[in-house]
Amino acid sequence: MRHASTIILMLLLSGCAQQQPVRVDTPRTEGPDKNYSVDLPLGWMKQQLTDKTMLASRDGPLLEAIYIGRRTAKEAFPRIKKGAADNMLASELAELEIAEVKSQDTFTAALTVLENEPALVSSRDAFRIKVSYKNTRGLEIDRVIYGFMDASSYYSIQYIAPKLYYFDRYYPDFEKSVASFQVVKK
Amino acid sequence: MRSGAVIALLTASALAAARPAPFTDASSLGHLDSDEQRVWSQSNDMVLALQRGGVVYADPGVTAYVQGVMNRLFPQFEGRIHVEVLRSPQLNAFALPDGHVYINEGLLARFQNEAQLATVLAHEGTHFTHRHGYQNQQSVKDNSAFATFGAMLGIPILPQLVAASSVFGFSRELETEADKGGFARLSSAGYDVHESPKVFEHLIAEIKVEDIKEPYFFASHPKLAERVDNMRKLAAGFPPGGAGTSHAAYAQVMGKTRVDNLEQMLSMGRAKSALLMLADSEHMSELPHAQYYLGEAYRLRAQPGDAQLAESAYLKAIADAADFAPSYRAVGVLYIKTQQYPAASKYLTRYLELSPDASDRKYVESYLAIARKKETQ
Repeated sequence: MRHASTIILMLLLSGCAQQQPVRVDTPRTEGPDKNYSVDLPLGWMKQQLTDKTMLASRDGPLLEAIYIGRRTAKEAFPRIKKGAADNMLASELAELEIAEVKSQDTFTAALTVLENEPALVSSRDAFRIKVSYKNTRGLEIDRVIYGFMDASSYYSIQYIAPKLYYFDRYYPDFEKSVASFQVVKK
Repeated sequence: MRSGAVIALLTASALAAARPAPFTDASSLGHLDSDEQRVWSQSNDMVLALQRGGVVYADPGVTAYVQGVMNRLFPQFEGRIHVEVLRSPQLNAFALPDGHVYINEGLLARFQNEAQLATVLAHEGTHFTHRHGYQNQQSVKDNSAFATFGAMLGIPILPQLVAASSVFGFSRELETEADKGGFARLSSAGYDVHESPKVFEHLIAEIKVEDIKEPYFFASHPKLAERVDNMRKLAAGFPPGGAGTSHAAYAQVMGKTRVDNLEQMLSMGRAKSALLMLADSEHMSELPHAQYYLGEAYRLRAQPGDAQLAESAYLKAIADAADFAPSYRAVGVLYIKTQQYPAASKYLTRYLELSPDASDRKYVESYLAIARKKETQ
């Protein structure tokens, strides 16, 4: 749970334009820059954290959170200072995403990769990984990440929740959001 | 005596009087004032967080070995300085005010012998015995900068404790004192003191390849190059020779740690650091499947020409160990990327034969499908 708060802290420190959280009262939500649309769970709160990142949560990001991000290919993996390319295989993107999460902090560095497989998101070749790590209190945190390239953008859709109670409870909602995700062609 | 000199002498005396005396042995640890007790309590919170967070390296043999080196350096404190290994490839070590010393797996893997390990342990142990953490915590008026550091690193550490630990290094004066005190311990324990400058040379090399602007670990004050010089000067008064110089003996203990660390480095995308480690011919000769790891490091570095170097290394790895499945997968994927589909099919098929339960089987099957489709076109 510390890791979700770390992400938020980093975003705050980066001086980004953050908006107030609003309730999801219509199923379809457009991304901050209208490059994608997605069905978020009704009744959850959503918040545009930056012009590239959106958060949705029911009980608060420390308990369960969906993060949707879009970055330019060149800045796809900022912690490891690596970019992505349109011709990268899904397994290569997954490898870089795992490195990115591991580089987040001392605790994620010790993560275990539970699942790593090809997937389809918005009709594009993608990866799906599931990783697990512990926080400072020894609480297991599970995290599922889908990622894919579209032209010059790298998209990631993540679900983070404590393994205890929360992860399984809202994971189906996350999968519905992933299934509904559409890149908007401009 | 001139008045300026008198003032300087009085000031120095006052400062010396204000500094707590170093601990002399385990029995001297029982006389802490309430401030220092509070700092120790905060240290314990961090110790628990690191344990609960699953970041302590779980190899009892390695931990016992490292603890044994610490006990040899600080026999008066046996049982009171506790060393743990952290699962991190960064070249770092730090001491908490209560005598817990942490050394990263990355540092252990990079050392060539026990004397180099002893150099770092002696330095960090001296931070503890000389109560540097407590002194630093008292001298820091504003902890806000440390709060930011802790958050950025994700270390579960109170700002006050960051100031009191050696995570980010101490003042030049305290670091120099730890170098000198550590050097004396190294010498008393019979280690070859001429190995000590090499520790800092490893750090300098790491900083260069990773392009680290300002290292936050224990080597930031004084500057690294200056510390190499200081260590050489200290060592110059000692005759050559001493214990702890056997590379083979150290490699025997650290063999698995080196593989674990290399895999961790590669999984974190630290290809340049991995190549630096593999550039050491001893590491290469002792490492199982070294050519495979070399290929992985080149692939991940992804500079012009690296794909060819990776291919060459993978093929050597296959020649060295024909039943090591990951080499086949690696070269097969590389051939998919370079559109050499028949070769890709051949190697990926062999990979699945050797590793039918591979966790990445679905990926490989999808790449095989691509290769076969392209072959028939």
